Amino acid sequence: MKAESSKSSDGDLLRALARGDQTALASIYDRYRLILFGLVMRILHDRAEAEEVLQETFLQVWRRAGDFDEARGRAFTWLVTIARSRALDRLRASASRGRVASEAAQMPRDEVGDAAEDALRSEQGKVVRQALTELPSEQRQTLLLAYFEGLTQTEIAARLGDPLGTVKTRMRAGMIKLRELLHDKLGNSM
Amino acid sequence: MDLMDDHQQYQESLALHALDALDAAEARALEAHLVSCAECRTSLVEWRDATGLLAHASTPAAPSHELRGRILAAARAETRAPQTAASAKVVPMPIASRRSNLWPNLLKIAAAIAIVGLLIGMIVFWRHDVGLQRDIARLTHERNRTADQLARERDARAKEHDAVAMLNSRDTKKMELAGTPTAQNARGTFVFDPKTGRGLLLTEGLPTAPADKAYEVWFIPKGHTPMPGKMFTVDASGQAMVSGEIPLEARANAVIAITLEPKKGSAAPTSAIYLASPGS
Repeated sequence: MKAESSKSSDGDLLRALARGDQTALASIYDRYRLILFGLVMRILHDRAEAEEVLQETFLQVWRRAGDFDEARGRAFTWLVTIARSRALDRLRASASRGRVASEAAQMPRDEVGDAAEDALRSEQGKVVRQALTELPSEQRQTLLLAYFEGLTQTEIAARLGDPLGTVKTRMRAGMIKLRELLHDKLGNSM
Repeated sequence: MDLMDDHQQYQESLALHALDALDAAEARALEAHLVSCAECRTSLVEWRDATGLLAHASTPAAPSHELRGRILAAARAETRAPQTAASAKVVPMPIASRRSNLWPNLLKIAAAIAIVGLLIGMIVFWRHDVGLQRDIARLTHERNRTADQLARERDARAKEHDAVAMLNSRDTKKMELAGTPTAQNARGTFVFDPKTGRGLLLTEGLPTAPADKAYEVWFIPKGHTPMPGKMFTVDASGQAMVSGEIPLEARANAVIAITLEPKKGSAAPTSAIYLASPGS
């Protein structure tokens, strides 16, 4: 069973989920729990809250798998988008924003829990982290603030004390550079 | 603002929209554009895929082992729940109670109509809002254009004001320039302030310069080679007003001459003289 599911594409698994196949849910959980839990932890900085959000995320995936449309983006994007918006909703609802603000703008730490080894082996993850280090730090900072803290361009400008126009330019330049780097290294898989 | 400009601007906002980083009004305007623009919709999918990869910037972490079981159990429970609800719905209602349920049904219909009405109202308001935003964008653009125009007119008036002040000043010296056989109808006036070196040239009757050429001002101090001054073109009646600084060597005693040169200017005159001050 396990060998079979590891061969299925994300899209196949989501289509099986939409038909109510619970083994597909288990497979998709096993495949993405590390990256999604890492993402949610990075946003919330609280294990208990992060586990609740991860549970909500997979239940939403279970309920709404029929909405997934490969023409509108990759399965990974769909999963990550659900997890991120649920975590950001939780962040906004909780008063913990001030506490996490300064930590979230920093780069990921180097040490990784041993359970994360297999995810780290993922070429994609390495490539993305490498690409981020190649961005000018002020561009990287704006992207991370938007992505992990859910700040808008205006909120970022206020946070950094920079003019809005500067922030917009940096974000756009950062995204363009990032996409180029990822495209060069990941090619079609991106 | 024309449609292509709009489209270009929206294209540039897509990356930020994929990050959910646009401000609410900008995001709404972009969403409205996406409805009718397949190209932008496709680009947005690509940007979202790229943005999704940012999740990898976080350090992977393992949730507790129990979580897997909890999630699968919750999913199983949800699968059963809708079935129970569905089977509850098909239980036939006792005939006696059907009549008494007529009023509640009518109320439900009324409520449904009210909700539909509300939805229509919301859509109308939303469309109105999109229209207003478009109007605001257009008006802002017009205001900016008017402001540019005003600034240009203000500059022109300031120049004229300076010119009149120079012409009237007691400190300035004035020279009449006469057309040469090359441009018999041309004439000009050169006014300059020997202290500051500021000079002003007014011409009329100069022939219109060909597209790749322009007139060049020359200062020729006694015993020197000509020193290049400003380039200028004339309007349909051969008029021009040129102001500039006179080279130090030419301030005491120099002849002014005008020739027709290639547009980028020459280091030494290459054509016949069109206009010149006396003494040349």
